[in-house]
Amino acid sequence: MNRRRVAYLAGAGLLLAFAAFSLTSFRSALTPYVSYAEAREQSRTVQVAGGLAKASSRYDEATSSLLFTLVDPATQQTLRVRYHGVKPANFEDAISIVAIGSYDRAADEFAAGKLLVKCPSKYQGAEVKTYS
Amino acid sequence: MSYLSTLYLPGAVALWCALAFAVTAIWGYARALGGDPAALRFGRNAYRFFALAIALVTAILFLCLYLRDYRIEYVYQYSGNDLSTFFQLAAFWAGQKGSFLIWLFFGAMLGLPLVRAAGRDEAPVMTVFLFTQLGLLLILVRENPFIMLPQTPLDGAGLNPLLQDYWMTIHPPVMFIGYAATAIPFAFAMAALWRRDYGNWAARAFPWALFAFLALGAAILLGGYWAYKTLGWGGYWGWDPVENASLIPWLLTTVLIHGLYLERARGRFRRATVVLSSLAYLSVLYGTFLTRSGVLADFSVHSFVDLGISGWLIALMLFFLGGSAWLVATRIREIPSAPSEDPLLSRGTFVVLGTITLLASALVVTLGTSAPILTRFLENPGQVGPAFYNRVNLPLALLTAFLVALVPFLTWRGAASWGELLGKARWGLVAAAAVAVLAAILGVHDPFHLLLVLFASAAVATNLTAVIGLARRGGLKSAGGYLAHVGVGVILLGFLASSAYDESVKVTLERGRPTAVGDLTLTFQRFVPRSATQKERMEVEVVRPGGSRYLAYPSLFVNDRSRQLMAHPDIRSFAFHDLYLSPLEYDPGERGGRLLLAKDQSATRGGIEVRFLGFDLEAGGHGTTPAASGPMSVGAVLEITRDGRSERLTPIYRFSPGGEVEFPPVAIPGGGRVALAGIDAESGAVELLFEGLPDLPGSPAKLALDVTRKPLIQLVWGGLYLIFLGGALAAWQRYRQALRHDATAAGTR
Repeated sequence: MNRRRVAYLAGAGLLLAFAAFSLTSFRSALTPYVSYAEAREQSRTVQVAGGLAKASSRYDEATSSLLFTLVDPATQQTLRVRYHGVKPANFEDAISIVAIGSYDRAADEFAAGKLLVKCPSKYQGAEVKTYS
Repeated sequence: MSYLSTLYLPGAVALWCALAFAVTAIWGYARALGGDPAALRFGRNAYRFFALAIALVTAILFLCLYLRDYRIEYVYQYSGNDLSTFFQLAAFWAGQKGSFLIWLFFGAMLGLPLVRAAGRDEAPVMTVFLFTQLGLLLILVRENPFIMLPQTPLDGAGLNPLLQDYWMTIHPPVMFIGYAATAIPFAFAMAALWRRDYGNWAARAFPWALFAFLALGAAILLGGYWAYKTLGWGGYWGWDPVENASLIPWLLTTVLIHGLYLERARGRFRRATVVLSSLAYLSVLYGTFLTRSGVLADFSVHSFVDLGISGWLIALMLFFLGGSAWLVATRIREIPSAPSEDPLLSRGTFVVLGTITLLASALVVTLGTSAPILTRFLENPGQVGPAFYNRVNLPLALLTAFLVALVPFLTWRGAASWGELLGKARWGLVAAAAVAVLAAILGVHDPFHLLLVLFASAAVATNLTAVIGLARRGGLKSAGGYLAHVGVGVILLGFLASSAYDESVKVTLERGRPTAVGDLTLTFQRFVPRSATQKERMEVEVVRPGGSRYLAYPSLFVNDRSRQLMAHPDIRSFAFHDLYLSPLEYDPGERGGRLLLAKDQSATRGGIEVRFLGFDLEAGGHGTTPAASGPMSVGAVLEITRDGRSERLTPIYRFSPGGEVEFPPVAIPGGGRVALAGIDAESGAVELLFEGLPDLPGSPAKLALDVTRKPLIQLVWGGLYLIFLGGALAAWQRYRQALRHDATAAGTR
C-alpha cells in the first residue's frame, strides 16, 4: 500500500510540474497586441494590426520577402513591415492585416513571422450588401 | 406581417414545424419519463416528424441553391452564376446559418437509429438529445436562413475561392457529423445519471463514441489535407483557433473511448466516463462559441463575424454546463466503481495514465486557444503561437508513445517487474533502437526528438506484432485498438519529420535559366495561360539528383470575381519526402519582343522581317459573329521573311464573352514563335509578340518560388488512415457487443 501512495505522489508531482511548465510556456509565448509606437520600443514578439497602405506592397527579390506598410485606421500612423514567407492569398484586398513578429531596429522595420489577413468576403458575406 | 413577407415561407414554415415537433417530442418523452407508457410512442413519432421536418428544411435550402434563387439572402451571399453545380450545392455550408443547419440535420438523422439503440433508456436519452437539438434549432429560428432580399439580384456574391476545392467542400459536413455524434454519448451519460441506472449506458454509448471519434478524425484529416494542398503555406496544421476547435473535441472523445474501454473491461473509471462524455460535448459547444461568436476575430485567419448569436451560444453552453454539472454533482458518489487495485505495471494503470496524458493535451490546447479571452481584460490582450502548442505537447507525445509501446505486453493482472515487461518487448525495442540510430545518422540530434523516434518506432513495432499475433489466431476483429496504436506511432514519426526537419528555400527563377536549389536544378520554362479546365500556371522543370526530371505546375492566378490573388502549390510525392513548390510572385518581365504593326507595314525583329498583310476572320475555325455566347477569334496574316525565304503565318487571337483571352503562339520556321497579343480597334493595327528569337531587348520573366522538402509527410496521412481503420474495426466490434448486451438485458428482464 505504501508503494501505491508513493506512486500517487509521484504522479501528482509530475502533473504539477507539467502544469507549471505549461503556464510558464504560456506566459512566454503570449504575444500581446500593441500600438506601433510600443512595437518600436521592444524586441519581444508582439502583434500589430492595421490596414494596408495603398500600393505599398512590393516583393523584394534580393531578400525573398514581402515589404509593405501598415496604417493604423485610428491614428493614421504607419509601420513598415517585412515578411518572409508565402504571400497570403487575399493579401491585396485585405481590410485588416495582423502581423506577428518583432521590431528590427537595425533595419528600422517590423519583421513579421506570420500574417493574419482579414478579407471582407471571407466566410461571411453578411456585410457585403452592395447589390444593385 | 412585414416580418413574414421577408421570409421564404416554404423553408420558414418547415423550420417552425420542426420546432413544434421538437417541443412536442420533448413533451411526449417527458411524460414517458413520468411513467406514462403510451407517451413513449407519442414522443417517438413526434421525433420522427421532427427529423422529417429538418430533412425538408435542408432539402428546401439545397433546392434554392440549386435553382440559384437569389431572392434568398443566404443563396445570394454564398452562391453565384460562375459556380458549377457541385460548388453551388456546397455553398450550403459556406456560411454560419447553413453550417448550423447541416449540423442540426446530421443530428436529427443520427437520432433516428438512436431511438432504437437507446433501448430501455429511450425516454431519458431522447429527452437529453432533443434538448441538444433544440439549442441549434432556436439559433436557426432566430437566424433564419430563409430571409429574402427586397429585390432579386441577377447574380450572387459568389463563393470564397478558397472554399472551391473538393477537400474543403466535404470537410465541413464530416465535421458536423462528428459534432452531432458527440451529443449521443452525452445524452446516454446524462440519461444514466437522471435514471440513476449506471450499468447499461457505457455498452450502448461505446459504438457512438467511436463513431464520433472517427467522424471528427476524418474531418481533421480532410481539413489538414486541404490546407496542405491548397493554401500553399507548406503545412497541414497551424494551431489556428478554428483547427483547435475541432482538435479539442477529438482529443476528449479519444479520452472518452479509452475510459469506456476501461469501464467495459474492468468496471473501473465509471465516474470519470460520465464526466468525460459531458466534457466532449461541452468542448464542441465551446469551440463553436470561440469560432462563431467573433471573440477571436482579431486572432484567427478564419475571420468569423459576430452574427449576434454570442449570447445564444453562451446561454447554450451555460445551460448544458449547468445541467450536466448539477446531475454529476448530485449523483456521482452513488456510481458504484471498482476500487483501483491494479499494480503499476498493468494494462489498467497504463490506460489510465494514457487518458490523463491526452486529457492534459486537450487542456493545454484549450488554454492556448482561449488566450485571447483569458487576456481580454489585460492592457494588451494577446494570443499564443504554434511554438507554445508544439512545446507543451512534445512531452505529452513522448509519454503517449511510451505508454502505447508497452501496452500490448501488459495484462490486466500486470507484470511482475520492469525486467519482465522489457523482456517481452525486446524485439520491438531492438527494432526501435535501430530506427533511432538511423535517425541520428540522418541528422536528428535533439535528444527529445531522438527519444520520440525511439518510443514511436517501438509503438509501431510492438503494436504491429500484436496485430499480427491476433490475426494468426483468427482474432483480427478485436485488433482495432492495436491497429490504431500502430497509427499513433506512425503519425508521431510523421509529425516530427515533416514539421521539425523540413527544408525550405526561397528562390527567384529567371525564365529559361537553370538554377540550382540544394541538390535540385529548377528551370522556369513558361507561363501557361488559362485554359478551359486549368487556371494560369507556371511550368517549372525540376531535375532531381540522379537526373530524373519532372514538370511542376504551381499556379498563381487572380480569381475573376473577388480579384484575390490565389496561389496553388505543386506537390510531388516521392518515397521519403514530398517536394512542395509554392509560387510567391510572378514578374512577367519587359516584353521586348512586342511589335505594333499597321496593315501592310513591315518591321525587322531578331533577324526576321515581318509584314502584316491583313486579318483573316475564318482562321480560328469560326468567324467573329458566331452564336453570341461562343468564343470569337481573329487571325492576322503575316509574311515572315528570314534569310531570303518567306512564309505566311496566321496567329490567332481568341476571346470569349466571359473575358477569357487566348493567343497561342505559332512556331516560326527556323526557330522562334510569334503570337497575336492584341488588336487596336481604332487604327486596325496588330500587336505581335515574339519569343525565342535572338537579340530581343527587355528583361526576362521571373518566378519567385518557395521550394520545400517535407520528409516523411506520407506518414502523417498513413498514420491517420491506420487510426481510422483501427477505430472502425473497434466501432464494429463494440456495435456487435452493444447488440448482444441489449439481447441479454432483455433476456434477464
